[in-house]
Order: sequence, then C-alpha cells, then structure tokens
Amino acid sequence: MFKFLKQVTDYAKESVQAAKYIGQGLAVTFDHMQRRPITVQYPYEKLIPSERFRGRIHFEFDKCISCEVCVRVCPINLPVVDWEFNKAVKKKELKHYSIDFGVCIFCGNCVEYCPTNCLSMTEEYELAAYDRHELNYDNVALGRLPYKVTQDPMVTPLRELGYLPKGVVEPHDLPAGSKRAGKRPEEILEEIQSSAAETVNK
Amino acid sequence: MNLAAGVQIVSFVILAGMMLGAALGVVLLSNIVYSAFLLGLVFISISGLYILLNADFVAAAQVLIYVGAVNVLILFAIMLVNKQEEFYTIPKRWIRQGATGLVCVGIFALLGTMILITPWSKATTLPFSVVENTIIEIGKHFFSDFLLPFELASVLLLMAMVGAIIIARRDFIPESMARQETISTPLTLPERPRELASSTASED
Amino acid sequence: MNSGIDLQGSFIQSLKELGLPADLAKALWIPLPLFLMIIGATVGVLVSVWLERKISAAAQQRIGPEYAGPLGVLQPVADGLKLVFKEDVIPAKADKWLFTLGPVIVVIPVFVSYLIVPFGQNLVITDLNVGIFLWITLSSVTPIGLLMAGYASNNKYSLLGGLRAAAQSISYEIPLALSVLAIAMMSNSLSTIDIVEQQSGLGILGWNIWRQPLGFLIFWIAALAECERLPFDLPEAEEELVAGYQTEYAGMKFGLFYVGSYVNLVLSALVFAILYLGGWEFPIPLEGLASWLGVSETTSWLQVITASLGITMTLLKAYFLVFIAILLRWTLPRVRIDQLLNLGWKFLLPVSLVNLLVTAALKLTFPVAFGG
Repeated sequence: MFKFLKQVTDYAKESVQAAKYIGQGLAVTFDHMQRRPITVQYPYEKLIPSERFRGRIHFEFDKCISCEVCVRVCPINLPVVDWEFNKAVKKKELKHYSIDFGVCIFCGNCVEYCPTNCLSMTEEYELAAYDRHELNYDNVALGRLPYKVTQDPMVTPLRELGYLPKGVVEPHDLPAGSKRAGKRPEEILEEIQSSAAETVNK
Repeated sequence: MNLAAGVQIVSFVILAGMMLGAALGVVLLSNIVYSAFLLGLVFISISGLYILLNADFVAAAQVLIYVGAVNVLILFAIMLVNKQEEFYTIPKRWIRQGATGLVCVGIFALLGTMILITPWSKATTLPFSVVENTIIEIGKHFFSDFLLPFELASVLLLMAMVGAIIIARRDFIPESMARQETISTPLTLPERPRELASSTASED
Repeated sequence: MNSGIDLQGSFIQSLKELGLPADLAKALWIPLPLFLMIIGATVGVLVSVWLERKISAAAQQRIGPEYAGPLGVLQPVADGLKLVFKEDVIPAKADKWLFTLGPVIVVIPVFVSYLIVPFGQNLVITDLNVGIFLWITLSSVTPIGLLMAGYASNNKYSLLGGLRAAAQSISYEIPLALSVLAIAMMSNSLSTIDIVEQQSGLGILGWNIWRQPLGFLIFWIAALAECERLPFDLPEAEEELVAGYQTEYAGMKFGLFYVGSYVNLVLSALVFAILYLGGWEFPIPLEGLASWLGVSETTSWLQVITASLGITMTLLKAYFLVFIAILLRWTLPRVRIDQLLNLGWKFLLPVSLVNLLVTAALKLTFPVAFGG
C-alpha cells in the first residue's frame, strides 16, 4: 500500500519537474523573440568576409616558375601545371595552369608554400555554376580581378559581428570610420616595435 | 407544406437513399476496404435520420461511437492485416449462400412484422410534445425505467475492458512462451527485455 | 437575462417589412451564417499562418515574410494561390476516388465544428443542446479521412502516417472528452452558450481555468495532439515518414490538409477560450460596471459595444493560445510514438478520470462555487 503511494508521489514529482523544465524552455524561446534578427538580406546586403577568409584562389601567370610545389603540397595534387622546358634559356616555360574548384577544399596549402607568391586567396565565395565543369578554372579565369563586396554599388556591405565596435550588434548604418573592438594588427605591431626599441635603448 | 416540412422530406429521401445504397455497397463490393468506408457512410446516414427525429444527442453519439471508434477500429484491423488472398471455389457453396439468405430473409421478416405490429398511429395521435433538452430526458430514462439494461451494458463493457487488459499485459502470458521470443542472433542488438508491468509502472 | 443583439430576428423582421413572405425571408437568412462561417474560418487560417511564420521567425532571430504586403501579411494568400494553381497530381497506382475523398473528409468536419463557436450572447450560428459534444463527435470523424488518404496513396509512408494519425487521435479523444465532461458537469449543460454564461459575472475570477487547473492542462495537451501540432506531429514526422499521409499529395488537395490543420488549431484555441477562459467575457465584469454606472442593459450603444468587445475578446484569447502553441512548437522536441501513447493512456487518461471524480465531489460539497 505504502509502496504504491510512494510510486504515485514519485510520479507526481516527476511530472511537476517535467512541467518546470517545459516552462524553462518556453521562457528561453520567449526570450529569443525579443532579440534582434540576424538576417542578412543576401543579394542586397552581404557580409564582408574576414581577413583570413579562404575564397577562390587567384593566380598570377607571369610570376609562376612552374616549380610544382603547389601540386606537391596539395592533399589531392589538384593544380594542373603544364610547362615545357625551353632549352635556349634553360628555363621552364609555363603554358597552362588550372585548378578545379569543384574538387578543391580551399585548405590554402598551395598559397602557403608558393615560393614566388603567385598564388593568393581572395574574398570571392559565390562560385555557383550550372555545370560542374565550369568550376574548372584555367589560368585566365584564375587571373581575373576578384570580386569585392565593398566595391559593388548594388550591395550594402555589412560587417561581421567580430568587426563591430564594442557593444554594437547592429551592422546597419554604422558611422563612418568606426573601429572594431580591440587593437588592430598594425597597432599591435607598432606597440611591439616601440617596446623593442625601448629595451634596445636601455 | 411549409419550408421546414419540405426540407425534412427532401433530406429524408436523400439520407434513406444514401443509407440503402451504402449498405448494398458494403455487402456487394468485393474490395473489403471500400466496404469498411461505406459502412462509415451508413452510420453517418443513420445519424442524419436521428437528427430528423429530433434526437440530437443520439445522433452525435452515433457518429462518435460508430464512425469515430468502431469504424476506425475496423479500418485499423483491415489495414494492419492487409493480406491478399486467392479466393478458391468451395464445392458446395450454394449451401452456405442458401443458409445466409435464409437467415437474412428471416431477420427481414421479423423486422417487417415488428414494424407492421407496432401501433405507430398512437405516436402520431399523441399531443406533439417538444422535448426541450434531450440529454436530461435520456438521463432520466437511464436511471428509472431503463436502469437494468443500462447497468447490464456497463457491466458488459467492463468485462470487455478487463479482458482487453489481460490480453495486453504480458505477465499473464505463460513463462515458456515469453522465453522463446528472446532469441539472440549475432545480428541482433542486445535489447533489454520488456519489463513486466507489475514491477514498475512509471518507467518503461 | 440580457438577450443582446438578435441578428437573425432583425434580419427576418426587416425583410418581412419589405413585403417578403416569412418562409422566403428565413430561406434567405440560412446561407448567410454558412458563408460567414466559411469566410471567418478561412480568414482565421490566413491570420494564423501569418502568425506562425512571423513568430517562428522571431523565435529563431529571423525576419520572416517581409515583401508580400506590409509586414508580409499577404504571404499566406500568396501561398494559397500558389497551391491552387499547382498541378493536381494523382499517383498512377493510387486509388483515385479515395485519394480525392480523403482530404475532403478531413476538412469538412473541422469547418462544420465552427457551428457551435459563440462570439457573443446571440453571435453563434446554432445554439445546440449537444453543443460541445458535437465538436468532439466531429473531430472523431477526421481519422477516417486520414486513414483513407493514407491507404489510397498506395505508399508505405502514407499508410503508416495515416495509421499513426488515427491511433493518436483515438487515444487523445478520451482525455479530451473527459476534461470537457468535467466542465459540462459544472455548468449542467453541453451548450457552449451555457458554459460561458456559467463563467460570467465575476470577470476573470469566474473563469473555469481556476476551477479546473488540471483539466485545462489535459485539454490543451490533448487538443495539441488532436491538431497534430509539433510536440505530437508524429503522423507527419519528416525524419521518419517523409510527410506521413500527405506524402503523395500536391496542389489543392495538399492545401486542404494544410487548411484543415490550421482551422483545427484555431478551432481548438477558440474552444479552449470558451471552456476555460470565459469565451466572450471581458476580464472585468462589464454588466456589473454598466449597472453601477447607471446605464440600462438594453441601451443600443451598450449592446453594440459589448458585442464587438465580445468578438474581440474571443479572438484575442484564441490567438493568445495559438501563440502559445507556436511557442511550444519551437521549444519542445517531438515525442516518440511509444512515449506519445504512454502519455495518452497511462498519464492523461487516469489523471483526467481523477479530475472528473474530484470535480464531481467538489460539485456535491461546494455547490455554490462549482455549479450546483
């Protein structure tokens, strides 16, 4: 009899606790309703990609020495380097270069290891195409000037959350010249150099 | 004939036609699913006839119990056991059909004589009294002159419920049968045996 | 008893004064409430779809529909038009008749249930004796349509979805009916008008929600399960069953299911408002206020004000409940089928029976507070 009563009370306690948890969950959802929407109206507004954004790879044909380091460091040996040895000048002559962005994982190893800095990352991320073969960029396509969000007159560029001034969460209508929270890299560099100079002076 | 009477006659004809057609469909169609759905239509037409007889509570209860519960359960049973089966000819099928026909004719004759015997004229000559609240009237009858059938029906339902619970609860099934079910092969995941309802009621 | 505004009587009276026979005047009146009901239910659906989209967006820190009309209010209309113009696909191996009939059977009972929803003393289409019982009855017809749709689609997901829907609505019908029965016991009537009348007089303190603290929770859980709203949307669980019984449906047939589910949600909210939140009653007793200010109950402007306030109050309460349903949708995860049936049969059913017993006992001991 008492065992049964205990079961009933335990069950009732569990139910009350479940109801409490549901209430807490509802409170969280309700709280979210008063927060600012984080929507970016995409074709009209775009976020500015961060400094280290790894977008489409840019290639400068004239700088390339056809060393094939990019191919060696690539996880899948993706870049295609087509060169011919010019016996007259005893140098490799680059004829074609291509990267298939349908296969590339944008790890950035090629950019990292390129000895002549002829490869570089851009901020371009809108690579959609109707045919996957269109993603196979040759040296002409790789050498095009990259699209920049800030230079498009049709687009309102919006800063990402980490690039907003301290205490601001609204990227729209920022005052011109507002700086992000924390120190910028050049400021940090300046500080280090000045402190280093001080220690040298001492 | 005023508007109300005209509407009543027209709806009676429609409901009666619908009911007869659907009932014939239930019996004559070969697809058992159609028969089950048409049975629902028969029940709904009957409840329409109840509404014409000013029995609103009975009509609603008819839909709730027969369409909402009985017919849905029939459909459930049909759809869970949807087994295609070949019909083969039974040698002396005419005996079965004859017996069925005999029973049907017998019931029809019984109902027919009952309808003929019942003194309907008395009902029409009585002073036409409108029952204000049918539910209260039904309740009064249940607890006065129809008390015994009412209680018997409730006892019957209780018995059915107890039977259903006994079938549903595992601990009344003999041990040997229950043990045979838990055969484990290399491909089955280790599964906790279903706990008996007597040990813990809350956990499952 | 204050009779309030009698639209039917005055409409027929004015037609009679124009020289029409009484029968014709009545026949002219009959279609008006029907159209009003259908239009009202449809507008209610549009509003609740818009609310659903906007509140869902807000709960997820999005904006939601924005470009179709101011604040996107025309978005549900656009959705509906799109569904109307879509191709009506019937799968080749489906059962054509049952496939078409399924959504119809699902939708019609829901619309018919609006017959009993009162917006004021006389602002109801029919004041039936069986009132709230009719709603329970009609909502029990819906599983037939769902089973029909699931069977006729000739698709395993559809069949499973239909069976789940039927099992769910059968099991939650019982606690729903039992919690309604406790209310009916307190107000000595099944008529929705009488149920609201019984709660009137004391303003917010007289509402049934204080007398039935358990009952209203049971009712709301069961009503959500009946509407297949999100903690209980197993019949359409997309991770398991694609879209349940709606899998093979497209175009306006799918639209009927969609409309049906939202009409059902609004209807459940309205019924909840009537049963537990005092229907059209204002939180402050208006009649007492009027008599205290010395205004007669039969003054025409007072009646117009109370009637419009009644409609507003009913809708406000109903949409508040719709809001709670949407909030619950984004808070709670979907339950499993065995948890659902456990909750229905092992928790709600015994608790609602206890609630019924306690209500009966309280009614016998305190007939003043619990409707003698």
